[in-house]
This record gives sequence, structure tokens and C-alpha cells, in this order.
Amino acid sequence: MKKNVYVYLLLLPGLIILLLFLAAPLFSTVFRTFQGNEGLTLAKYIAFFKDSYNRGVYIRTLKLALLTTLIAVILGFPTSYYISRLSRRARGLYIIFAVFPLLTSPVVRSFSWMVILGKNGILNSILLKLNLIEEPLRLLYNEFSIVIGLVYLFLPLMIMSLVGVMENIDEDLIEAAESLGATRREVFIRVIFPLSIPGLIVGSVLVFTGSITAYTTPQLLGGSNTTVLATLIYQNAMSLFDWDTASVVATIMILTTVFVTFLINKLSSRLNA
Amino acid sequence: MFALLVYLFLIIPLIIITGAAFGTDEYLRFPPQGFSLKWLANIFEVEMFVRTFKISLEIAVLGTVLALLVGIPAAYGLSRYDFVGKNFLQGFFLSPVLVPGIVFGFSLLNFLIIKYEMPVYTSLLIGHTVIIMPYIIRVISSSLENFDYSIEEAAISLGASKVKTFFVIVLPNITSGVIAAFILAFINSFNNVPVSIFLTGPGISTLPIQMMSYVEYYFDPTIAALSVVLMVMTIILMFIIEKTLGLSYFAK
Amino acid sequence: MALLSLKNISVAYGKNVVLKNLNLDVEKGELVSLLGPSGCGKTTTLRLIGGFVEAKNGRFVFNGKDYTKIPVHKRNFGFVFQNYALFPHLTVFDNVAFGLKQRNIPKNEIKKRVMEILETVGLKDYADRSPRELSGGQKQRVALARALVIQPDLLLLDEPLSNLDAKLRVKMRLEIRKIQQEYNITAIYVTHDQEECFSISDRVAVMNNGVIEQLDTPQKIYNLPRTEFVANFVGFENFIELELEAKERGGGGFYKLKNGQRFKVTHFNGREYERYVKGAIRPEEIDILNEGGGKETNTLKGIIGISTFLGKHYQYVVETEVGRLLVNGSAHKRYEKGERVTLYFPEDKIVLV
Ligand SMILES: Nc1ncnc2c1ncn2[C@@H]1O[C@H](COP(=O)(O)OP(=O)(O)OP(=O)(O)O)[C@@H](O)[C@H]1O
Ligand SMILES: [Mg+2]
Repeated sequence: MKKNVYVYLLLLPGLIILLLFLAAPLFSTVFRTFQGNEGLTLAKYIAFFKDSYNRGVYIRTLKLALLTTLIAVILGFPTSYYISRLSRRARGLYIIFAVFPLLTSPVVRSFSWMVILGKNGILNSILLKLNLIEEPLRLLYNEFSIVIGLVYLFLPLMIMSLVGVMENIDEDLIEAAESLGATRREVFIRVIFPLSIPGLIVGSVLVFTGSITAYTTPQLLGGSNTTVLATLIYQNAMSLFDWDTASVVATIMILTTVFVTFLINKLSSRLNA
Repeated sequence: MFALLVYLFLIIPLIIITGAAFGTDEYLRFPPQGFSLKWLANIFEVEMFVRTFKISLEIAVLGTVLALLVGIPAAYGLSRYDFVGKNFLQGFFLSPVLVPGIVFGFSLLNFLIIKYEMPVYTSLLIGHTVIIMPYIIRVISSSLENFDYSIEEAAISLGASKVKTFFVIVLPNITSGVIAAFILAFINSFNNVPVSIFLTGPGISTLPIQMMSYVEYYFDPTIAALSVVLMVMTIILMFIIEKTLGLSYFAK
Repeated sequence: MALLSLKNISVAYGKNVVLKNLNLDVEKGELVSLLGPSGCGKTTTLRLIGGFVEAKNGRFVFNGKDYTKIPVHKRNFGFVFQNYALFPHLTVFDNVAFGLKQRNIPKNEIKKRVMEILETVGLKDYADRSPRELSGGQKQRVALARALVIQPDLLLLDEPLSNLDAKLRVKMRLEIRKIQQEYNITAIYVTHDQEECFSISDRVAVMNNGVIEQLDTPQKIYNLPRTEFVANFVGFENFIELELEAKERGGGGFYKLKNGQRFKVTHFNGREYERYVKGAIRPEEIDILNEGGGKETNTLKGIIGISTFLGKHYQYVVETEVGRLLVNGSAHKRYEKGERVTLYFPEDKIVLV
């Protein structure tokens, strides 16, 4: 490590770009939401939350994100544990199959669920064939399909975060616990779970904030009465040309993600203390 | 067992979409009837797909190159030097990944296109350059960390200047990191929806945006065929990442 | 005048002062080692000379010129790193040729000089290999060749052998010494291995906590350490507080111990005229006699404590009126715990520190 003032020259081009094209636009968006006729005001926020439709959207967004995170944890945790105990080669194979969806276009991934859940989709045709239902179920364009889409979108992220931490849990540790008389269940609860918490936290933050801010999936898999924050921004900006409200929603979205990240991190440091 | 089921959940949709791409039906059905490549061919019939594919490719390549030009020096500075405000700047350079894409896209529309009347194409390029930057910085930094600093010092002690050392000694040894960064950035730019969706204009749109508006009106297997093409592209790029960076990079 | 001199050099990382008013003179053609415990500032001193670290205070004069502010790449010093630091993407030949290329030397001349030096280090047949395909010892030879081929004004080596196995270390240090003398190169060699250091150096600088405690020939360092730290570092494990009673003509003198006992000391190391000193002595230099044996002076009564068998001898912890001492005794006779003995301290084996 060297000390040197010239280092700022190396950073300068990037800094300029980020200041001009990231910080400035974001600031301008946030700033306009507090601007009133005379000075700064919270009027736009009050107006926003007075509207029950907007409140509904906000609550729905949080609810769907929470549900997604929960399901991702439930599906991801045992899976990741299983992967983390595999041999290097097998683990590599599983990682490939988790990374592949991650790198595939979200449009493609959401679209695949349109094919599955659609009125003439696979699920309905199978159920019809089995005579389990009389007529096609309405599986698409509702909260159910959004959650499925989001879980599908973010599960690999959860798995990768967990595997990253779990594969560093030493096998000896588990054997040591077993030799001390712990059952498999106890080992899981007393040893593996506590040691996996950092990965769980990272994964949960990623999935939760990702779900709050996701646009493609709710846009494709949701319907007109399942608007979430991201689609609300888009509607206000591009259909209603209501820039102020769009800015308010955008700011709320930022604040919410920051707050949630902060909260989860706080919670985890308290757990560790 | 459970893990296997979860993985089936991850993989089956992509298999289904692949199957659907090669059917003969006019609308999406599974299992598909018959086998045909006509939907694959149909991609090229839809002029907008061809055009937006080109734009997406252009933006992704240009944006990645720009981000590399700006990001490599920054990554080098951040990982090789100690200076006042280092932690803050490190966070700042990685921050684009934390900003919700939809918020960023909307802000760019507001700020660049409406307020400063920048051309749509330029704005789109700028937006992509910014969102790509953290990937570049992260990957390059991690390959710099694996490259022993004393090797650079050896070159300098043998009489090479710092700049020359960077080009003759450092760069050749982090090429695989640069390639990996390029591909990761490329994929993220190419697949981006929430930023691009605000930065479209007459004749300017990206492939994912075009695909989204297509499925709102048509429900034929063309999109499935296109998805297959994109997946093949992803597989090729993943192969390159595995060769350069190693896919285990993602489990960090 | 010395070829290299560090004058009152101080170096700090942030608030952490690592070198304190350090002074060092090195003559042309000398190999000087920096020896000391981990973290004492050896590497920092070397890197300061190399130009990788900036001094907060002080001057670095080389060959009569002020080098304090000269950038690394203009110094013409050869640097050999602990982890070799070979350029992984270049062949052995290109690694060695790198410095010459920076100096715009014609191609055929480069080729000649590189092959020459590779011959010297015994790697003539390895020119086209990549560093990956070399063993640790071979890598270190390439690093050495690379540093030597530029005909450096000074060769700096930072624990060059610490990554090699014991046998190879011995072999390589002889080679380094041979080449250094053959080329008549001034060298500074960092190590924390005493034996290696003593065997290779003209002079040794023992460092502690950012200062050089003693700069002397290996023999002097080993036999006549001048400070408690150096004494301790080279194996003097017993320190007895002494007070000067009477000087002797021709050096040495009589000293009084805390318990009133008298010791005669005949060693010279420049500390013999100070009133309060410590007498340092190695465990193997103390003789164990039966209780009451020996003379009046230079003896202490003691009780045997814990003993350990060290192969060549037993080592005892002996309780005396001036504290616990470590004493080695013959492997043939074992003293029992609690046995009363008299310890004899030969007058020419006590070093004043
Ligand atoms: N880049 C740095 N930043 C902050 N402190 C440092 C740095 N490099 C070294 N130090 C500190 O300076 C002191 C001296 O370090 P130095 O590397 O010179 O020790 P050394 O004698 O070479 O030790 P070793 O035998 O372990 O190599 C140590 O306490 C170390 O922690
Ligand atoms: Mg060192």
C-alpha cells in the first residue's frame, strides 16, 4: 500500500461520471419531492399516503417481498446446505445451474412462467387432463404469479449467498459436535444455523430489496390490480406523466430499501453481540 | 432430494420454454406438437427484434468499454493505494448496484432527457455505463488482489516507470479478470430492463424492452425461440467466465 | 567514506512509528545483514533504501549523492523479494532481460548478458521456461539473476531464502555469498535466521523496535553482544545485575552482586566502565559444582529446580539468591530436584550489557 495524491487522478474520471450521471439525477429526483411553493415541505408525501390506492400498493409491495424472501429462505437454506457438503466437482455443477438462471434475461425467466401458468399453459393442461379441474384456473396476472416469478428470479441469489458462507463451515466442526453427543438436528440448529447467519442476512437483504424494486416480473406476471411500487413509478411517469408522484414513489422506494438493509444489518449485529 | 426438487423448479421453466420454441402450433403449448424451426426463423422476420438486438449489442459493448476505461484505473487506485476517504470512495464506486434500477432509469429520464435535453441514445449509453461500473470495479479489484504487488515493485526496481509497469506487467496478468469483467458487465447491460425502459425513444429501444412489449400483444412461440437464442448466448458467455474467473466467484 | 549511509531516518505508517532515528553505514563490497525479530522494521529499512517507502525524517546518502528523493526506477538497485516476484507471463529469459530492456540496451548485448548471468546461477538450460515450471530454488535463482544482470549499485535481499527447505537454504546462501563476492557487489540482506545471517555476512545489524542495537561482525555479535536485547537474541539467557567495585588495569574488573557476592569479569566490549551493568552468560558456560565447591568469587549457591533433557545435556532451572538461572549440565550426571549446588561463572564468559 502506498500513499500518493496521484491516486485521485486515477479515480477522477469515474468520480465525474458517477457524480454527474448518478448522484445528480438521483438528487434531483429526491429533491423535487420536497419542493413546495414556499420552501421545503412533506406535502407530496402526505398527499401520496392519503390515497388508499397508493397505500395499498405500498403494502402489497412489502407483503410480496416478504413472502418472496420467506419462501426463498425456506427453499434455499436446506438446498444450500446440501450443496455445501458436496464434493468440489458436484458443488461446481450445482453452482452452474444456479448461476445460469441468474445470468439469463429476467424477461425470459418471467416469460417462462407465463407459458406455464397461462390459461392454455402447461399447468392448466395437465390439471385438465387429469380431470382435477373443469375449466382452466386463473393462475396468471395476480399476486400468486408475481410471488412465483420473484422467487424464481431471486432464489439463485439466495442459494449463492448461502453456499458462499456454508462451504466455509469446516466439516470437522460438525464432526466435533456429533462426537460431543449432538444429534443431526441439534448440529443443524446449534452449529450450522448460527454459522450460516451472515449468508442468510446477505441473501435476505438481496432478495428483499430486489423484490421491492423489481420491475420486469410484476410487469409481466402481474395484472392491473396488482400494481407494485416499481410499476407504479412507471405508470405515473409514462402513462400519467405525473412526474411528481413518480418521484415520490421513487424516493419512498430508495428510503425503504435503505431502511430495510439498515434494519437487517442492525438486527444481525445484535444477534452476534 | 429436496435440493433436487428445488433445482427442478429452477431448471424446468427454461426447458419448457426451449421445448415450446420448436413446436408447430400458432400459440404456446406444451408439450409442443411436432418439430419446426419456423419460430426461430420468425425472429428474423420481426424487424424490430433485429434492430433492437443490434442496439442492445451496441450499447452493451460501448457501455462496457467505457466502463472499463474509467473503471480499471479506479479499481487500480482503490486496491493499490491508501488515501483519505478510501472507504467512502470504494462504497461510492459500488453504489450503482444498490440504487433501484427503476429509480435510476426514471431519474435519468428526468434529468438528462427532460431537463438537459440529451439525446435518448446518449442517455441510454450513459445509464448502462453507470450500472455496469460496480461489476467492473469488483472483478478487476479482485484480480488485482490476486496479483502480488511485489511483482510490480520488482518491475519498478528494474527501471520501469509506474505507467509502463501497469501496461507491461499488470495488464497482461489480469487479462482474464478483464475478460470476465467485460462479460459480466455485458450480460448485465444486455439484460437490463428497468433503466432502459425509460430511455427509449423513436427508433431506439433495447431487445428486452421490445420483447416485453411484444408479449403484451402476441403470445406466439417467437419469444420462446428468441429466449432460446439468448440462453445459448448466456451459456457461451458463462463458459468464458468459468474459464477466466471461475463460476465460484458468484458464491461470495 | 561509506558507500551508503542512512542518517537519522524515521519512518511511520500513520501514527505507528516503525523506524526511529536509524543510522546505518555500509562500505563498498560489503554484505550487511539486518537481523531481528518479526516486526522490528527490517523490511521497512530495506524498502526505504530501495525507495518504496518514504522517510519522514532523515537522509539517505548513496555514493556521496542524496538519494532520499530519487524515485525507485532511477536508483539502479537490484531487489530480491521473499516471494520471488517473478513476472508470471514472461519466460525466464524475458524476466532476466526485463531490466536491460528498460535501459535500451541492444538486443544482442541483452542476449549475451542474460545468458551469462543464467550460466552463473546455473539455469542456462531453463531460459525458455515459464516461472510456473520452476522449483522454488530455481525461482529464487532467476530472481537473483534478474537483480544482478542490471549490474546494480546495490543489491537488496528481503528474506530471499525463507520459502525454501532447510537443505536448499544452506546451499543457496553459499551461492549468494559466492556470487556477491565474485561480482564485488554491495548487498543488504534481511533475515531472521541467525545461522544464515552469521554465515553469509561481513557485518550484522541487529534490529529491535525500529533501531539498530548493534552493528558488528558476526563473531562480535555472537561473542560480545553490547545490549541486553542482542545478548538475549544470540542465546545469552541469564542476566545478573552487577555493580562496579573496582576496575582492573588492562580492562575488566570486580563487581558486586545484589547478595553481596563478588564476580570478576575480564571481557572487553566497551561497557566495562559503567557502574551499573548486567552480566550476561549462556546456560552452557555455567559450571555446576557440588555444594561448597569452587572459589570465593564468581560462584553462587543454588537449588536445582525443574530439569529437562535436551539430548546433549540436561538443562536445569536453578534458584539462586539473585534469581532463577538456566544452566546446562552434563548428560552423564543428573542432579535431582531440590539438590543444593554451587554454580561457577568463568570470568571470561560473562559479557557486560
Ligand atoms: N504498509 C504498512 N502499513 C502499516 N504498518 C506497517 C506496514 N508495513 C509494515 N508495518 C508495520 O511496521 C512494522 C515493521 O514492519 P516490517 O515489515 O519492517 O517488519 P520486519 O522486521 O520485516 O518483520 P518480518 O520479519 O515479520 O518480515 C510492523 O509493526 C508492521 O506492522
Ligand atoms: Mg519483513
